[in-house]
Amino acid sequence: MATSTNEARARRAIKRRELFSSFAGIGASPAPAQACTGASLIPNVQLRTHEGNEVRFYDDLVKGRQVIINMMYAHCAEFCPAITTRLVEIHQALGSRMGRDLFMYSITLKPHEDDPAALKAFARMHGALLPGWTFLTGDAYDIETLRFALFRHDHIKFDLDPASHTAKLRIINDAINRWVHVPPLASKMTVLQHISWADPPKSFEQQLEDNRKLQLAIDKEHEQYGYRKIV
Amino acid sequence: MSTEEDGLDRRTVLKTGALLGAAAVLTSKKSLVLAQSSPPLAQPVLCGTTAPVSPPTRPFLDALPVPMPALPQILSPLPTKAANTGAGEAARDAHQRWEQFLPLIQYRMVAAPSLHQHHTDLLPSFMWTFNGKYPAPTPLNFYGVPSIVRFVNDLPPTPPNTTFGINEITVHLHNGHTGSESDGFAGDFFPTGFFKDNHYANAYAGIDDFGGIGDAREAMHTFWFHDHRAAFTANNNYLGLNGMYIVYDSKDPGHELATPGSLRLPGYYGVTDIPLILTDKRFCAAANGRNEVFQVVGNGAPGGDKWVVNGKIQPKLTVRRRKYRFRILNTGPAKTWNLSLIRPDGTQAPITIVAVDANFLQSPVTLTNRTLDVFVAMRFDVIIDFAAFPAGTSVYLKENVAQNVGVAVADPAPGLPIGNVLMRFDVVNRESWFPADTPAIPGVLATMPDPIVPDSSFQWNFTLVGGRFLINGLEFDANRVDHVVLKGSSEEWTLANDVAAGNWLHPVHIHFEEGRIMSRRVRVSQNPDVFQDLTLLPEELGRRDVYPLPPQHRVVLRMRFRDFVGRYLIHCHNMNHEDAFMMVRWDIVDSVEELTRKRREIDERRMLAGLPPQYGDKYGSDKGGFV
Repeated sequence: MATSTNEARARRAIKRRELFSSFAGIGASPAPAQACTGASLIPNVQLRTHEGNEVRFYDDLVKGRQVIINMMYAHCAEFCPAITTRLVEIHQALGSRMGRDLFMYSITLKPHEDDPAALKAFARMHGALLPGWTFLTGDAYDIETLRFALFRHDHIKFDLDPASHTAKLRIINDAINRWVHVPPLASKMTVLQHISWADPPKSFEQQLEDNRKLQLAIDKEHEQYGYRKIV
Repeated sequence: MSTEEDGLDRRTVLKTGALLGAAAVLTSKKSLVLAQSSPPLAQPVLCGTTAPVSPPTRPFLDALPVPMPALPQILSPLPTKAANTGAGEAARDAHQRWEQFLPLIQYRMVAAPSLHQHHTDLLPSFMWTFNGKYPAPTPLNFYGVPSIVRFVNDLPPTPPNTTFGINEITVHLHNGHTGSESDGFAGDFFPTGFFKDNHYANAYAGIDDFGGIGDAREAMHTFWFHDHRAAFTANNNYLGLNGMYIVYDSKDPGHELATPGSLRLPGYYGVTDIPLILTDKRFCAAANGRNEVFQVVGNGAPGGDKWVVNGKIQPKLTVRRRKYRFRILNTGPAKTWNLSLIRPDGTQAPITIVAVDANFLQSPVTLTNRTLDVFVAMRFDVIIDFAAFPAGTSVYLKENVAQNVGVAVADPAPGLPIGNVLMRFDVVNRESWFPADTPAIPGVLATMPDPIVPDSSFQWNFTLVGGRFLINGLEFDANRVDHVVLKGSSEEWTLANDVAAGNWLHPVHIHFEEGRIMSRRVRVSQNPDVFQDLTLLPEELGRRDVYPLPPQHRVVLRMRFRDFVGRYLIHCHNMNHEDAFMMVRWDIVDSVEELTRKRREIDERRMLAGLPPQYGDKYGSDKGGFV
């Protein structure tokens, strides 16, 4: 008797939980649309890819996906080539995930200079014509809007200076509404680590396994060097 | 009905041993330590991307709450020296000095969603708190009695997570003298379902040099703990993941009796010794039975428009005509508080500072004509003598910047608009049952430790280049160490803020040990090399761990690196700057060999980046010194 009451209570609790999670997950509820999610934070501006295709930035490129975004321009001599080279390395490291559940977008800061052909040439020059990596241009005002939404500091000194936005990779997993960032010229290991901060959630079993492996790696380093060296 | 499964489980346990048995329990649902968790709260529905004006709140309706003392308990499973990964503890290095400081007191702090009501006129808000309370319960500890705090992560799994926080935590005790594995290093965060035991020796710095529990002159009393997750510290703290942690000793014993060595300051926690934990918040309009907190974190974000003390907006506190001690703490994320005490006639009443950043000053400092400037993460222990006011009067704690009250209320004192009032003190006569006043504040509160003779010097440059918040030209990278020191050595560090202009003040926090400010200089001309020495404020003369660094300033400080090794942090404690990675990792090592190797690696990396070497050829001689 007592058991069945408990079971009923547990069943009710599960139902309540499901209700909550579906309420939070689906925007179709009568409550106001959830703000502070990609749909409200990321401008759905029309852009053109290096292949010349018209795309909507949020709807076609970001919605429900994990993406890596940077700002660049083809004639930028200082940081852009180094950053693009780093991104090529990152792309290689991420291997088969690229174009499947991970996408890279490089958006030009100088749309009046960089038409699709110029972007494609830049990408070819850097060996960046790779699956899941799109270079984007568009209307200058739209790109400025996008830049503000993704990289802004709300400080006139930085926000009016396009150069200040070449120095950050923005990583967004729209499906779980997570935004992180990383300096692109950090080590490859670090950039990959920060990208993984926005990875789809892992099962608890997987996390336990990861934790166990991390502990083994820590212990091994202590044994080998007497201190933690890398992990 | 599940007898067979149970039987199978039992057989498996018998066959494969207790450890695997524990793992089987874990994988079936959640970590052992979360077996009791309750059904989740409904996720918040946030109110848009444009900052709302918070709803009106009438002043002085709520009494000032005091965070409950945390209740010690016997943890299950018991804490272990090495991480108990089988039971769900996050991977870490083994606790240092474990046998020497076996934890006698154990606490459990569970980070989980809860509802908190910030004001009678507001509906509850969805928060992330420790043990369901904002601010978290306060562990009250004693020097010589080591503790463990088990931080358990029971934040919602992702998805759904509609808050702006991240459900991964790493908790730092600011500014605990602890091993790196218990220091809440920003890269050592752990996910939902895991826990981590932070071991606090509750010993003074100088354990190796002085033996026992270290050098009592290094005493610190007012600590606080908070999430330190890289890139999300502001979010998670704004959601409520912080609390105070107090350590008593014979000098500051947590009571007011005449015991040997006691300073006899107001000392009954929650009665005459009261934390004032400050933060700013912004609220959405009422919806779904809640007034959710609006996301105000991030650089240039609007900040809060309600001033919150111990979780309440414009609270009141009844005080007796006697001395009280307030432990003022700014939990950020970014706001600086400029406080003063205002009499009903609008004049400023004195506040006496006895401790800064948990450290007693050599002598008390009484502020009568300037504000108490509390930068993020700073603690000021102050004494207010309410005997100076007649019973029946009210005095007000004023903040220089007005909040949005939203209801028309007459100025409580001439020249004091209601928006500037942080809280109200209502003065009454002392009842016979209330503790009698403490003696006058002693003229000498503390003896400073022996002067620090630095083995070498180092400079940390805080700059903004192209919108990037940099220290020594780089952003934070948990995998990269930027400076290495030898355990037992000491250094003179210069903190330099070379931002050209603007209000980019950085409250710089250095983990691990308290430092002493030697000098403060400011650049005064177009010539970048011309500086003028500034006279240090009396409250800057003590020991501290947060160093406010306005533009063009140079702060020279000295600190020691004793007793523990590992990875530590320096960062701007404006949490928005910190999350933009104005933070560096520095390591303390215990062998010259490791010192040499790590320093060589730093210089090799710098060479590849076209930068001059940091150490030259002085890698690891004697104490690792380089000049």
